[in-house]
Amino acid sequence: MNYQAPVKTTLLEVRDLRTEFHTASGTVTAVDGVSFAIERGERVAVVGESGSGKSAMAMSILRLLTHPGKVAGGEVLLDGRDITKLSEGQLNAIRGRLVGTVFQDPMSSLDPVMRISKQMIEPIMRNLRLNREQARAEAIKWLGKVGIPEPERRIEAYPFEMSGGMRQRVMIAMALSCRPQLVIADEPTTALDVTIQAQIVEVLKNLTAEAGAAMMFITHDLGLVARFAHKVAVMYAGRIVEFGRVEDIFANPSHPYTQSLLGTIPSTSMLKSDRLPQIPGLPPDMRYPIVGCAFKERCAAAHDRCLREAPRLTDRGIDHRAACWSQHGLEHGATLKVERPERTNKPFEPDGSVVVELNALWKQFETSRKMVVKAVNGVNLRVHKGETLGIVGESGCGKSTVARLLLGLEKPTSGDIFISGRAQMVFQDPASSFNPKMTIGDIVAEPLVVRAQGNKAERLEAVRRLISQVGLDPAFAERYPHQLSGGQRQRVAVARALALNPSVVVADEPTSALDVSVRAQIINLLVDLKQELGISFVFISHDLLTVRYISDRIAVMYLGEVVEYGAAEEVFADPRHPYTKALIDAVPVPDPAIESRRTTTPLQGELPSPLNLPKGCAFASRCPMATDRCRAEKPSLPNHDLSRQVACHYAH
Amino acid sequence: MADITLTATPVPKAGLLAAIAAVFRHRALSSAKVRLALLILVPILALTILAPVLPIQKPLETNLRAMMQFPSIEHVFGTDKMGRDIFSRTLAGVQVSLLVGFSVAAIALVLGMLLGTLAGFYGGLIDRAIMTVVDIFLAFPSLLLAIGLVSVMGTGIVPVILAISLADVPRFIRLQRSQVLSLRSRAFIDAARTVDASQYWLMTRHIVPNTIAAMLVAASIAAANAILVEASLSFLGLGIMPPQPSLGNIVRDGQTYLEQAWWISTLPGVVILLIAVGLHFLSDGVRELLDPRSR
Amino acid sequence: MAEYTAKKLAQMLVTVLGVVTLVFFTLRLIPGDAASAMAGDTLSGEALQVLREQMGLDEPLLTQYLGFLRNLAVVDLGETITTRIPIAELLLRALPITLSIALATIVVSVALSIPLGTLAAYMAHKGRNWLDNGLTGAAMIIDLMPSFWTALVLLLVFSLGLGWFPASGQLNWSDPWALVLRLALPVIVLSLSQVATLARITRTAVLEVLNEDYVRTARSLGWSELRVLFRHALKNAALPIATVVGLSFGNLLGGTVIVEFIFTIPGVGNLLIAGINSRDYQLVQTLIVLYALLFVVINFATDLIYKTLDPRVQF
Ligand SMILES: Nc1ncnc2c1ncn2[C@@H]1O[C@H](COP(=O)(O)OP(=O)(O)OP(=O)(O)O)[C@@H](O)[C@H]1O
Ligand code: SF4
Ligand code: SF4
Ligand SMILES: [Mg+2]
Repeated sequence: MNYQAPVKTTLLEVRDLRTEFHTASGTVTAVDGVSFAIERGERVAVVGESGSGKSAMAMSILRLLTHPGKVAGGEVLLDGRDITKLSEGQLNAIRGRLVGTVFQDPMSSLDPVMRISKQMIEPIMRNLRLNREQARAEAIKWLGKVGIPEPERRIEAYPFEMSGGMRQRVMIAMALSCRPQLVIADEPTTALDVTIQAQIVEVLKNLTAEAGAAMMFITHDLGLVARFAHKVAVMYAGRIVEFGRVEDIFANPSHPYTQSLLGTIPSTSMLKSDRLPQIPGLPPDMRYPIVGCAFKERCAAAHDRCLREAPRLTDRGIDHRAACWSQHGLEHGATLKVERPERTNKPFEPDGSVVVELNALWKQFETSRKMVVKAVNGVNLRVHKGETLGIVGESGCGKSTVARLLLGLEKPTSGDIFISGRAQMVFQDPASSFNPKMTIGDIVAEPLVVRAQGNKAERLEAVRRLISQVGLDPAFAERYPHQLSGGQRQRVAVARALALNPSVVVADEPTSALDVSVRAQIINLLVDLKQELGISFVFISHDLLTVRYISDRIAVMYLGEVVEYGAAEEVFADPRHPYTKALIDAVPVPDPAIESRRTTTPLQGELPSPLNLPKGCAFASRCPMATDRCRAEKPSLPNHDLSRQVACHYAH
Repeated sequence: MADITLTATPVPKAGLLAAIAAVFRHRALSSAKVRLALLILVPILALTILAPVLPIQKPLETNLRAMMQFPSIEHVFGTDKMGRDIFSRTLAGVQVSLLVGFSVAAIALVLGMLLGTLAGFYGGLIDRAIMTVVDIFLAFPSLLLAIGLVSVMGTGIVPVILAISLADVPRFIRLQRSQVLSLRSRAFIDAARTVDASQYWLMTRHIVPNTIAAMLVAASIAAANAILVEASLSFLGLGIMPPQPSLGNIVRDGQTYLEQAWWISTLPGVVILLIAVGLHFLSDGVRELLDPRSR
Repeated sequence: MAEYTAKKLAQMLVTVLGVVTLVFFTLRLIPGDAASAMAGDTLSGEALQVLREQMGLDEPLLTQYLGFLRNLAVVDLGETITTRIPIAELLLRALPITLSIALATIVVSVALSIPLGTLAAYMAHKGRNWLDNGLTGAAMIIDLMPSFWTALVLLLVFSLGLGWFPASGQLNWSDPWALVLRLALPVIVLSLSQVATLARITRTAVLEVLNEDYVRTARSLGWSELRVLFRHALKNAALPIATVVGLSFGNLLGGTVIVEFIFTIPGVGNLLIAGINSRDYQLVQTLIVLYALLFVVINFATDLIYKTLDPRVQF
């Protein structure tokens, strides 16, 4: 321990924490000797892939783990008191009072059958020793602070009457209302849209700073880390592999894992022709003891010593430590795999011909209560041969509905769809997109069987070819979907989509269920296939950096309409519609230097209900530039032959 | 070609056939539940099949010199007031029980899958018609529906089977329909629809195969339940009528002599319980074996 | 709430109409007709015709059906055919007995099963499985015991053997203690299987809720385990429990027929068996409709309770 902080200012000190889960298939060591400290008022981000032990570590600190999880060793000193040795009663006096917690999933973190008032007021009464009236006033005050409109009225709501973003605000108000000194936030914005995420992060940052509370912020989004944190802890396989100030971590990452992780994110300065760096392989299975460095199988700098001995955290600078035998990790760029694979044929050159055309497309759904949801309202779009069209927008703006219309899974209310050739799909959820009773081979062969293409032997051959085309061993054909990892399943989904030689593949959030390192693998695969086969893609995602990287053109959707369309580079470099601007502003960039210079005013409010659309501009209720004209008169996209289109009265 | 190729280590082949094959190898038997179930059911089944050749009195044969005898080597379950051998009668009763159990399970399974799939898959008018009738049937407590039906159809094995099935079929329809509904919205159905798969293809390749496991589990529970209901009906004098033995009417016969000859009523009841427990363990075991994730 | 109640009420009425119709037409399916089935071989020719007229079987089917509906609507239950006693009068005596047994069973089994199931779930949640395993195993076996057999065994041991409870005899409403003793065994028999079902569902529901995120939230706010269990876990688990209590009422009604028969209790169940044995179809059809009605009303009540427990129910 050579973390030399004055004792007085250290709030939390974790020493050699070990957490185990005793499962039927073995003991998983989820946290394997973690040590770090948080100063008063400091924001520490914990990053790492899913399964790296972030949440288990956070839950261990408050002893919120439930069976079969168990803190197996170490100390957690909060204000000098060891939490691991406290009785249940003493612990309860700390939870809520000294440490507030915000969890990942706002939809399930509030008691569904209890009013917000009840859930909020009683902890305040107990912790701050207030009477009911005072506590209620306090609760309303906090609800107002976190940005809930009409808090006096909304406090009597049930959670189900609120959106996810609103519920997360309530969680934050609950966590902060008892004036804790430490707030632990476990992926508090992962389930939310970028715009809402930006608002929530802003609220968390301002309110904790105002109260002088320290924060431990768990995330897998490096952009958020850059926007938010003072210090960063990078976790891998249950250990902290690098710890330091945010500027140092981003500017001089010294552990190969941190370096690779930063490399896998498409950056704004990156050229389209660059290949996305990717980390090969998968994290280790934590049920088995790890000999040597846990990262050795995926590390390009691994050497003999790494196989035998596990590195410990050692100093790399002021307040900067890393656990790696190699002093500088990967030698910059050289060993991170970025080069293109061998190509058998010339890359496809787009020729400008159109493969998909959507004309004045409308789609309305009737709900069970006889109301009409206007999901898609007059969309005109074209997809060119060999190009990728990215569609972005907040949840519920109609992206998926456009995809389903394009694929013929829904019938349009009006308008027409022209497709030259065939459209196929890659779905978001790799778990439900395969019939669990079919082998991978049968799944990939299904389109061929249905369309009666080829005989059995030819189909077998085609399946082998398709499976290896997406980078899997043909032996996978024998397996069942549940025997594959998420990334492998998504490869199979791509193979199935390619079976009938489609002219366009629609991918609806194909990477959002995957970890960053695997995400880069899938994106590279899609890019390779586009260039190799000349297939067009429609890529739907809320991950704007990825969309920018992968797309040739971009359509921004809002409330069922396309509000801006143009070449990806142009739209990102020079967004013209106020909504596009807000959307791009909301995306955190993984660079603390840029983030600290940005003055973001997050987009206010939430997406209005598609049940009753405004008469004028759909965006008017949230637009900072809105005028009376906007509210009365609807701006429309100009002639859709233009290469750049914006639906706004005041856009240049 | 993608730049990296992930290799697959071979994993054991799986599937329905393999699961069945596994039953005969160690896999199924490694499940404690299945072993226990077989430990209970196999001897009962064997004795029932072998009953005609066992050195015991015939079920209907009376012996006035050996009335109400305490269980002994000769009469394992003792004898009743007419000197009939309870053990032999019990075995004959088990035959009836098993026949009822399996017939009901089969009828409920077939009709439930058929009508439930139709209702869930096609929806609309067919669905509403089927479900209206189902809801009406479900408004009757099931034993009372069976009682009502046998009171109309009369006593005997066929009416009993029909009555119990009629009470079970609606439950199976409901289960199958809800399974079909949840499967219908899964992404793999959409994937098949994008290659223009026919409705028939979706139903036979994607939907029905994924419903079978749950239906088989439900069927084995229904078999156990039917055995209990048949016994209850016969006990009330509304099911299988004497002199043909059934587990229920043997117990009923013994009720009058409960104080003098407790074994007449109690021992056959134990056999009913054993069969029901065996079937339950079997259904649990089958569920585990058919679930691909448990492998 | 009012709108919801009205909707459920309408649904219930439709079901009741369906039930009544089904019973009516099922009885008309008897080979020959109800009168000749009733009479067996005892009557012939003219006498049978008289019986038919008495039962209204000579009228067109539709007229009979409408008459049946009208009579039910004004609670005119008619008379038994064999003994000419007004059915309403019989019911007035039998129904309170059956209802008291059913009610006592529900009270006893809810009072036992919910604490038991909750405790088992809580211990399993903390990784101590013995109570859970024991309870689950015992519940399964008890659930599978044929209730007539359980009744006989208890009768044998506690009435005939130990003499704690009377095995038969008049029901004496004026002597509460005697009444309790008389009805104790039937209620115990019925409660056994109800407790088994309810404890199991309670255990599953509570265990599931204990793993919910909002329970973790409550813990993170510093609430004690006891408060988490009662304020959050049980309150949410009450939803599936209420549903199952309602549904298992159907099994309970079936069970009353069996215990009334064994313990010779003059309730609706014995009336039903007597009706079937004397082929009194008028009585049988009334009683079957009555049972279904009870079950439907209980399910309606369950729906309303569910709605008050769960603010999310919209419809
Ligand atoms: N089958 C349906 N029935 C009723 N409403 C629907 C249906 N499908 C979509 N909607 C509604 O249409 C609107 C657009 O939905 P859509 O799924 O296309 O949004 P999205 O942009 O893909 O959102 P996300 O980012 O969350 O995937 C939403 O309000 C949604 O609730
Ligand atoms: S210790 Fe070795 S294997 Fe581990 S990260 Fe450093 S160089 Fe790579
Ligand atoms: S038209 Fe008006 S409200 Fe709409 S985006 Fe433009 S400025 Fe904003
Ligand atoms: Mg979507």
